[in-house]
Amino acid sequence: MVGLVDGNNFFVSCERVVDPRLEGRPVAVLSNNDGCCVSRSNEFKALGIPMGTPYFQLRDREASGELVFRSSNYELYGDMSRRIVSILREEAVDVEQYSIDEAFISPPSFACEAGGDSLREYGVRLRSKILQWVGIPCGVGFAATKTLAKIANHIAKKRPEGVFAMPDDAAQVLANVPPEEVWGVGRRLAPKLRAARILTALQLRDADDPLLRSIGGVTLLRTAMELRGVQCHEERDYDAHPDSVTCSRSFGEPVTTREALMESIASFVAQAATKLRRHGLVASGCNVYAQMGGAYDGRWVERTVAFANPTDATNEIMRAIRREASDALFLKGERYRKSGVVFFGLESADAMRQGDLFELSAPVGASKLYKAVDAINARYGKHMVHAASEGIGDRPWKMKRAKLSKRATTNWNELITVR
Amino acid sequence: MAKKAQVAGSVVAGFPSPAEQYLEPPLDLNELLVKRPAATYFVRVSGDSMTGAGINDGDLLVVDRSFTPSSGDIVIAALDGEFTVKTLRVRGAGRRAGGSSGGQEDDGVWLEPANPQYPSIKVDRGHDMRVFGVVTAVIHRFRRG
Repeated sequence: MVGLVDGNNFFVSCERVVDPRLEGRPVAVLSNNDGCCVSRSNEFKALGIPMGTPYFQLRDREASGELVFRSSNYELYGDMSRRIVSILREEAVDVEQYSIDEAFISPPSFACEAGGDSLREYGVRLRSKILQWVGIPCGVGFAATKTLAKIANHIAKKRPEGVFAMPDDAAQVLANVPPEEVWGVGRRLAPKLRAARILTALQLRDADDPLLRSIGGVTLLRTAMELRGVQCHEERDYDAHPDSVTCSRSFGEPVTTREALMESIASFVAQAATKLRRHGLVASGCNVYAQMGGAYDGRWVERTVAFANPTDATNEIMRAIRREASDALFLKGERYRKSGVVFFGLESADAMRQGDLFELSAPVGASKLYKAVDAINARYGKHMVHAASEGIGDRPWKMKRAKLSKRATTNWNELITVR
Repeated sequence: MAKKAQVAGSVVAGFPSPAEQYLEPPLDLNELLVKRPAATYFVRVSGDSMTGAGINDGDLLVVDRSFTPSSGDIVIAALDGEFTVKTLRVRGAGRRAGGSSGGQEDDGVWLEPANPQYPSIKVDRGHDMRVFGVVTAVIHRFRRG
């Protein structure tokens, strides 16, 4: 049994926790450089403004007071995400963070008892705890596989109680889901599926294996098997899903030195950054975490690192992590079992390139530079070229975030003020 | 068999103290004040509406969202969109607090200051009030740095 927990309109919900004036209003959070809408409140959605609408098209509606906008406050979102994940770790047997606002969980056995309401009740209690402790409303979906849990989660969000457990016979549910909404299918396959007369997730589930393979390769076949209730996704198998980039692993032997811990994180960052580049994405920040202790007394440390500019360059990311998180992550005397990194604020590197007319395409430039540096160092020896990237501190093209709320949960100087 | 002196909470005689293996880590303020990190927030006080409760302008408050707020708790509340720190008071049948002798018009939810210069606020249908969390501690610093 798998559960998927994710925050509703996550960035907007975070903003509302620390600014109650935003409750009930049409609010949207903007992407990097205040470009376009990446999170919308229900009131904003109800006005018919789609995801990704550029801010400049809505400026006068903001001036009139109809709409409210905020810049992406990754420090805040990362902190709220950590709080939610720590609650999940207390309440579930296993937690796999998928992105900044989503995590897969393994419910405890008492919740999975057959023939009862126990899953739903567990989900309701979990959701209620997160809502009270962190102030973020979530959707909670349960099913036999991750792909089905994603669908269950989607249905849960439409229900007032916010929880949905997929029935054992999911046919009726799947008959109402278009195939391109199934996790991992995507819009590109839709015409091919339609041509093969696969018009619902149910038909996708029940289609012939050879047909599925011919339409979408082994990935599509695995998706269909997941719909059938057969678990196929491994922890590291997220290449088909570029909305999340994570990397983590348990260590063969416990790690006890700062160097070894940072090395492990560096290697995960390198792998995850490769994934970013392969999908043509840049990230705005990440959560880095490490687990210590034994199998039954696991404790975690976690930090959010927001990057000065969206990037896909491994060494920029590692520099930021070393600077901001290594002190917090490494505790002397602890034995570390696992570490990992989750990137968030993912955007297409192309979109960044087409940003503001007067801004230099720095993130992409840095990426090319990184590749060139790499090639030179590989040929002539390590650190042959390094000074250029080291000296850049406050960059003139720094990301514009004009409507940034306070880092109310991570900065002593920016706390909520109460009278 | 000279051994380096260690703080063990018991007298160190010639032999290594059997208490050594039970040495505890140093006292940690985080452990004392932040029982549920996921539900704990810090806020800054502005103004003097709660000086009678020992809460002063510029103080830091530790707020825990995991508690269900009860009458008598000092809470952070969002009142009509603004955060305020007040004592939550629920007045009603069977729950007359502090010797209140008011009539039924007094019944309901109140946000009470701890300073006579400020009024008590009755939270009625005209207000939008949400409790953010319960204040569990106040930190007043005499010296910074």
